[in-house]
Amino acid sequence: MAADFNNRVRVRLYELFVEAGRCPSKSDVAADLGCSVGDITESFAALAAAHMLVLQPGTGEVLMANPLSAVPTPFVVETQGSNVPRTWYGNCIWDSLGVIAMLHADGRVVTSCGCCGESMTVGVRRGEVVCQPPGLVHFALPARRWWDDIVFN
Amino acid sequence: MLLFRSEEPRSGSQSADHIDRWCKSWRLERGAVLSLEQAWKLADAWYRDRMSAAWRRRSVDEAHELFRSLGLTSDFWRFS
Repeated sequence: MAADFNNRVRVRLYELFVEAGRCPSKSDVAADLGCSVGDITESFAALAAAHMLVLQPGTGEVLMANPLSAVPTPFVVETQGSNVPRTWYGNCIWDSLGVIAMLHADGRVVTSCGCCGESMTVGVRRGEVVCQPPGLVHFALPARRWWDDIVFN
Repeated sequence: MLLFRSEEPRSGSQSADHIDRWCKSWRLERGAVLSLEQAWKLADAWYRDRMSAAWRRRSVDEAHELFRSLGLTSDFWRFS
């Protein structure tokens, strides 16, 4: 039962995030589902323990609903919706491409070289990827260490 | 996971490529380097169904199988 509720919270969190274009608060999700903020706090904690969300350390609000970031990052993702462009923040380059994949859209990631700071743009159109200037993705930590410090990673 | 320019450093600039220079500044070993095409395929496979109610976190074996299908077979891509 708890797992079902947590999955309902998870799905509704993503839906509200995408509908509004910003991450909902615990209060927003509680109001939407007609339950208490305490219920959502417990659910968020369980989802974070299962590595399905990352929470802000002070408030317990969402920091990452991967691939989406609840806070501004150096990875700006622009997707083409049915009518108007939408803007998001990704947690890293992998997640930023993941936003485009999750929304089943064309889009682009506007970011910069991790070394020298030069502006870089990665466009995805019908599954074809173009990076300008040419780039590579670097995974610094091996998979077994990804959750040691997910914010750094 | 960061994006780096893959062009050769300009004449007169610091030697070593952008990834190596970043690793040196963070005192980290060079990790795994993917092309944008590989990174897109990984992101698409990893996230395309994330909003679905049927989505479940992959088991370690399922994640390893996904990495293997994308040619990511070194120990770097193992969770255990």
